[in-house]
Amino acid sequence: MSKINLRCGDRRGTSAPLLGAPWRFVAMFTVLLLSGVLAWAGESDAPPSSAPTSEPTTTSTTSTGTSTAGVEEEPDRFLAVINGDVYTVNGPALRGATILSKNGRIVEIGTDVRLPEECEVIDADGKRVYPGLVAASAGGLHGGGNAADTTNVFSANMQVALAGGITTAIAGNDAAKLTFGTTEDMIVKKGLYTSLDYSRRRPLQRAETRSAFEAARAHLRALDRYEIERATNEDAEKPEPDEDVNRRYLKLIRGSATAVATANSRQDLLDLAALAREFGFRLIVRGAYEGWTVAPQIAGAIAGAIVTPRASVFENQRSVKPSGSSIENAQILRRHGIPVAIVPPTTSITFWGLAGRDLLHLNMEAGFAVRGGMSDADALRAVTIDAARILGIDDHVGSLEIGKDADWIVCDGDLLHYMTQVHYAVVNGRIAYNKQKETLFAHIRPDGAPETTFDDVWPRRLEWPANDDSSAAAEPSRE
Amino acid sequence: MIMDFGSRLRLVAALLVGLGTSFAVSAESPSLAFRVAKVVTMDAADSVINDAVVLVAEGRIVTVGKRAEVTIPDDARVIDMPDQWLVPGMVEGHNHTAGGLGDLNDMVYLTNPGLDTRATIDPNNRLIESARWGGVTAVMLIPGSGTNMSGFGTVSKTAGDTPDEVILRTPGSLKIAQAGNPEWYFGGVGRRFMNWNTRQTLLKAMDYNDRWTSYEAGTSTTKPEYDPIFDGFRGLFKKEFPATVHTQIYQVLLTTVEMLGRQLDLWVVLDHCTFDAWKVGPLVVAQDLWVLNGPREYHFDRTMNRMIGNCSGWWKNGVRKLGVNTDAPVVPERELSYQATMACWYGWQPYPALAGVTRVPSQALGLYEQRGSIEAGKIADFAIWTGDPIDPRSACLMTVVDGRIAYDAADEDVRRF
Repeated sequence: MSKINLRCGDRRGTSAPLLGAPWRFVAMFTVLLLSGVLAWAGESDAPPSSAPTSEPTTTSTTSTGTSTAGVEEEPDRFLAVINGDVYTVNGPALRGATILSKNGRIVEIGTDVRLPEECEVIDADGKRVYPGLVAASAGGLHGGGNAADTTNVFSANMQVALAGGITTAIAGNDAAKLTFGTTEDMIVKKGLYTSLDYSRRRPLQRAETRSAFEAARAHLRALDRYEIERATNEDAEKPEPDEDVNRRYLKLIRGSATAVATANSRQDLLDLAALAREFGFRLIVRGAYEGWTVAPQIAGAIAGAIVTPRASVFENQRSVKPSGSSIENAQILRRHGIPVAIVPPTTSITFWGLAGRDLLHLNMEAGFAVRGGMSDADALRAVTIDAARILGIDDHVGSLEIGKDADWIVCDGDLLHYMTQVHYAVVNGRIAYNKQKETLFAHIRPDGAPETTFDDVWPRRLEWPANDDSSAAAEPSRE
Repeated sequence: MIMDFGSRLRLVAALLVGLGTSFAVSAESPSLAFRVAKVVTMDAADSVINDAVVLVAEGRIVTVGKRAEVTIPDDARVIDMPDQWLVPGMVEGHNHTAGGLGDLNDMVYLTNPGLDTRATIDPNNRLIESARWGGVTAVMLIPGSGTNMSGFGTVSKTAGDTPDEVILRTPGSLKIAQAGNPEWYFGGVGRRFMNWNTRQTLLKAMDYNDRWTSYEAGTSTTKPEYDPIFDGFRGLFKKEFPATVHTQIYQVLLTTVEMLGRQLDLWVVLDHCTFDAWKVGPLVVAQDLWVLNGPREYHFDRTMNRMIGNCSGWWKNGVRKLGVNTDAPVVPERELSYQATMACWYGWQPYPALAGVTRVPSQALGLYEQRGSIEAGKIADFAIWTGDPIDPRSACLMTVVDGRIAYDAADEDVRRF
């Protein structure tokens, strides 16, 4: 009930397009919390009289069709972004296009979209629209355990991450939205990975991991034999798993789960790839800063790598093989067909002043991948659709497509440019961040247009015309 | 950088032949011709030359001009990079990696006049070597910030094999740290005592310098006693080198500007300048001091819930002698340009930001007469970038120090940065 009311509060259509003012969120969240607690109490042994029976007053003006029975008709909630250059990621970029979302899902994308009468609208004229970014490593954006129960949806961390364009992040072992102001539809997927420890630095755990796989495989083979035997022998006994058979490993081998392991050194990467090949499971690797040294060897065996292009480890002078980190790592892995998700050196939000190393500047880390030779388009994918694929949530997020979640950001320029800021972040069809309405960054280039950028006066190499005598004739001179 | 024995000999010979202003490099050093898409000269007129050639011989820039107007000598080695930018070498004003170990907060006494980073310089330690990957050509190697006066810094090049080869000026600066880190000294000391202690030490040194100056001028006949500690300070009062001051927070900056700038009239380079320090902008302008901001590039104002760019704050308060630093190894030296990047994200502007890692620190440290811009006659310290160096998508492909290629990405199996 409370959830429905909250939605209603947001659907005031075109007359007040930016209705989600913070105070309103605060009020609504209080209501949500309160009624949530009461609702929970109602389900318990408490007497039914404690359950909420009347509508909270804060939302009564906008809610319609509610009843006390708990089964209510939800009015459709529309949000559109218009006039922006839409970078869909999986499809072409569309100039001056509209995206229309209904109840948190994208229903239309194009230049000829008719908006419903009651529709919240963001005008992105002169701006760019991208899918919300996906942080494949993150901490501190959501609460621990079950994020929907523990997250502070008004935290500064979450707001700063939204300002960095992130709309979905890993939260513990779940994928969760940055649903600022609400816990509704926060969880995208639970139990993303089975974590493996298979490093040569910890030989005991490594041996345990291996024997767990072997035990699981032995059991699965026994099951296979049983299936064959059963056809001819009615008395065949179905094998029961030994106590050392771990269900998680059964799932891995069956292909119904994904493993994740942190591995950086060339040896650990090779070992993990061999393990994944031997037992045939889907493996995601975190770190992988020496991945570039073994990319061809690990390519078929690794389903994705979560990397920091700027990782900084000097070469090991005691190794006779190439070692250490390289800015080209992300690009080399990508070139060998390994999906890459990019994460910054610090995968949380920091407030102490060192700039450009945390999740607020995830896009800049993608820029560093371009420095290492990746194309701008691939770098964009590495913080959107490829990151979503690595988390196994690309059916919901990571690109702008009809049917996918309405998670997008509106930027004042190229996402990979260093002056670009996020003006709106939309999560589940709700405005979760509005730069000008929040205090954090509203004072920086408030009109959105950088005062001067190199791209205005000094084109980057990609746009650089050959033998450009006209621009050369007027050498800019500035104070 | 790997040098063969012959080139080492030539370098040593060059150093023997000409030190200081009469810098000369052996005539055997080949002349180089760089053909590039753009030269950001960082000269006084802020000129930018598109489709340009830069000729280098004997360590110096001979000619800069449009390709059509420059004749490349037959014997010159042509380095053809028609899509790239040529930008002055970046200069770092605040670097703790002289010995490569990150002597961030080394402490002896609370003031340590006479100590010197010169003795710790390891010219090819990995942190310095990797600075070249980021187009950094000169660094101020300073002692740690754990005490109020931790000794003398050394201005060094990032390329060369021996301390003598790389040192540009010694002492390079006097390192002073106000508040912050020195407050941790042993049991902890307060700002009142620290300021008194710093001022006393400087006044003693000033008095020593005065006595020697009047003795040398003949106005005093008493020969002062030589003091090996305070003797190093004489250059500070003659303004041969600056005081590089670790200072941050509005109130501390006030003390710095008042004590070191107005009262003692030193050549002052303000380092860090973080938190809300930019509020003293007008006073800094009045005293004409240099500001090199970093490693913190923004300040989170908790009362206003605002992220404020430090450089943006300084710039809006009228400070134009403004650059950034890394405080390496706090931020790796190779990411000096990225400090400027972030300053822009938080509200600064690209061209001043590029000047803030090249021309401004070069001027702040007193190197600009010889280095820090692409002009005929200057020493050839520059880097070749794939585009705007402030954009992290651009890579440094080559770093040239003293007219020699100190880093060439093409020589590497893989580019590290």
